[in-house]
Amino acid sequence: MSTEAAPEETVRRERLAVGPVSTRLVEAGPREASEATVFVHGNPGSADDWGRLAKAVGGTGGRAVAFDLPDFGETEAAPGFEHSTGGYAGFVAEALATLGIERVHLVLHDFGGPIGLVWVATDPDALASITLIDTGILPGYKWHTLARIWRTPVLGELFQATATRRSFRMIVDRNEPRGLPREFVEEMYDHADKRTRRAILKLYRATDDPGEGSAEFAALMAPRDVPALVIWGEDDAYLAASFATRQREAFPSADVHVLPASGHWPYADAPETVERLLVEFVSRVGASAD
Amino acid sequence: MVRERYDAVVVGGSLAGCTGAILLARQGARVALVEKQPDPAAFKRVCSHFIQASAVPTIERLGLLEPILAAGGVRPRARAWTRWGIVAAPADRAAQGVNLRREVLDPLLRRTASETPGVEPKLGWTATRLLRDGERFAGVAVVDRDGNETELVARLVVGADGRDSRVAKLAGVREKVHRHERLAYGGYFSGPMPESAPDGTVYFGDPQFAAAFPTDGDLVFYVAMPTKDRLPEFKRDPEKALVDFVSDFPDPPPIRESRLVDEVIGKLEMPNRVRQLTAPGLALIGDAALATDPLFGIGCGWAFQSAEWLADSVGPALSGRGSLEHGLKRYRRRHNRHLRGHAFLIHDYSTARRFNPAERLLFSAAARDRKLAVRFDGFATRQVGPARMMATTVPRSLYVSARHALARG
Repeated sequence: MSTEAAPEETVRRERLAVGPVSTRLVEAGPREASEATVFVHGNPGSADDWGRLAKAVGGTGGRAVAFDLPDFGETEAAPGFEHSTGGYAGFVAEALATLGIERVHLVLHDFGGPIGLVWVATDPDALASITLIDTGILPGYKWHTLARIWRTPVLGELFQATATRRSFRMIVDRNEPRGLPREFVEEMYDHADKRTRRAILKLYRATDDPGEGSAEFAALMAPRDVPALVIWGEDDAYLAASFATRQREAFPSADVHVLPASGHWPYADAPETVERLLVEFVSRVGASAD
Repeated sequence: MVRERYDAVVVGGSLAGCTGAILLARQGARVALVEKQPDPAAFKRVCSHFIQASAVPTIERLGLLEPILAAGGVRPRARAWTRWGIVAAPADRAAQGVNLRREVLDPLLRRTASETPGVEPKLGWTATRLLRDGERFAGVAVVDRDGNETELVARLVVGADGRDSRVAKLAGVREKVHRHERLAYGGYFSGPMPESAPDGTVYFGDPQFAAAFPTDGDLVFYVAMPTKDRLPEFKRDPEKALVDFVSDFPDPPPIRESRLVDEVIGKLEMPNRVRQLTAPGLALIGDAALATDPLFGIGCGWAFQSAEWLADSVGPALSGRGSLEHGLKRYRRRHNRHLRGHAFLIHDYSTARRFNPAERLLFSAAARDRKLAVRFDGFATRQVGPARMMATTVPRSLYVSARHALARG
């Protein structure tokens, strides 16, 4: 009989104190490992986005963690928190320190991309691998329509104040090629309370050009050739799939997958494919790191 | 100078050429079948080998259906994956095509042609120029592998030499080119069969496209037809790119669990070519006449069918009954009537554009309604033309879509 411990496949959901902030933590795999797969959600996501993938990574024997960013999900920001990519990147760094994670396999989605990449730029040596899901460097990117509304004073507040569950569902589903699971959309709406809606306006207004610094970031990271996996929904209405292959400017050896008939949330509309790709990738780069 | 006389000279010994030569000879014509490949077992390498149901009657008429099945060929139905679901007619209502690898099919057909009385195969001979008699074409000059030239004099020259037809170039016929914005990379894999085997499945990723065709030898031909911006991935590692591309579709066939048995073959440029079908003393058939986007798997079937239409149209004239020019006119009309509408739609879609509203309506409704799937099957297998398909599907598609919208609330 083998004496090796079986991979931990259950997902633990608990609270985590990151400085003055109590965030929700979704975790799988060995609790004490200093090398972990870290998931950073986008807008309007939360730690709940990653339950399935965290469990899958945990099933391989690795540690997987996801947490709410401040004012998203069920996590309230500390007074004076700066709702910007820099502010959120600082929170990520603090959360990793609290969790004792020193070597990171980063998984980013949507606005989690700019946030995660700012953290990478401040500590590139800690990055073991990166998985970019409909996000990454965005040279020349022009804000999508919703973002332009959010960035416009008064109009953004008006939009957020009048968004109902039905209109939210319509807006999200209209842009998705195969629709999204109903419970996924409902959960996003449930988390988009007044606090989150205000945070969204602040974050978007603090980010004039999401493509700013792309060239400098690529120059910093390309020589390192960090293992990378890029997954992009071909029909992403917010971040065009043409950015998928451009991630090789920063990660030259990136394995790029543009998923047909998938939209902005591939882990929701093509969960089996995303899980397979991520598990294969994390297993490969995790093993190569040993 | 050696000079030989025939009723017809067919240039190109592949599907269309052999079919044309066999059917003309069966009507009493003496036919020279010129093929530049000297090996009777030569075969076309870049081909999906899918033969649509529309061509099955021609294959039966040639007496080849049983030999094809005896050689391991399969009779697939066609099903289409779309973002709205699978479009597939019920098994008892769907038309069945034929699948047999070209490396088996081509030698079989060539052997049948060479054994047909009246067909004189000239393997390893290449057409160098066309002979003229005033305004008419009157034969072909060919050279053998040693450079010896022979003039094959005939009342009819048939160009069956493919997409890049040399006969068409030598004749200077009019040609219209429609752009094609996809690549094609495919290969044969051994391993678990797709759940729907032996039926073939095409994946309309809109605009990306892939297909899985189970075939003889327990193999599956997997093909990716991505938009051209995906070229770097395929150049970097064709096999990995093909496997990734197919398996990144939702509900993918088991390509990842399969093993490539030969090599992945790619084709980068496949412009649609529409050529003038006939000239005095000359006719084009198969891809030489109309080379369309291989995405819809129609090339093989149309090669058989166009050869049959030509043979039926000019056969009587070549055996002394009626006018050859009238026969060529009949061929032209028949070819246009059957294929022009299909070709128009295919050329439009080969620009790699996204589905238009009408296509979205039809596909989404056909995925939800069996009756529509049956009607769609008739069109997809090229037994029904676009006009009839639209007339029989649009009203019901509107009804099905309205019913679906109401049910969703």
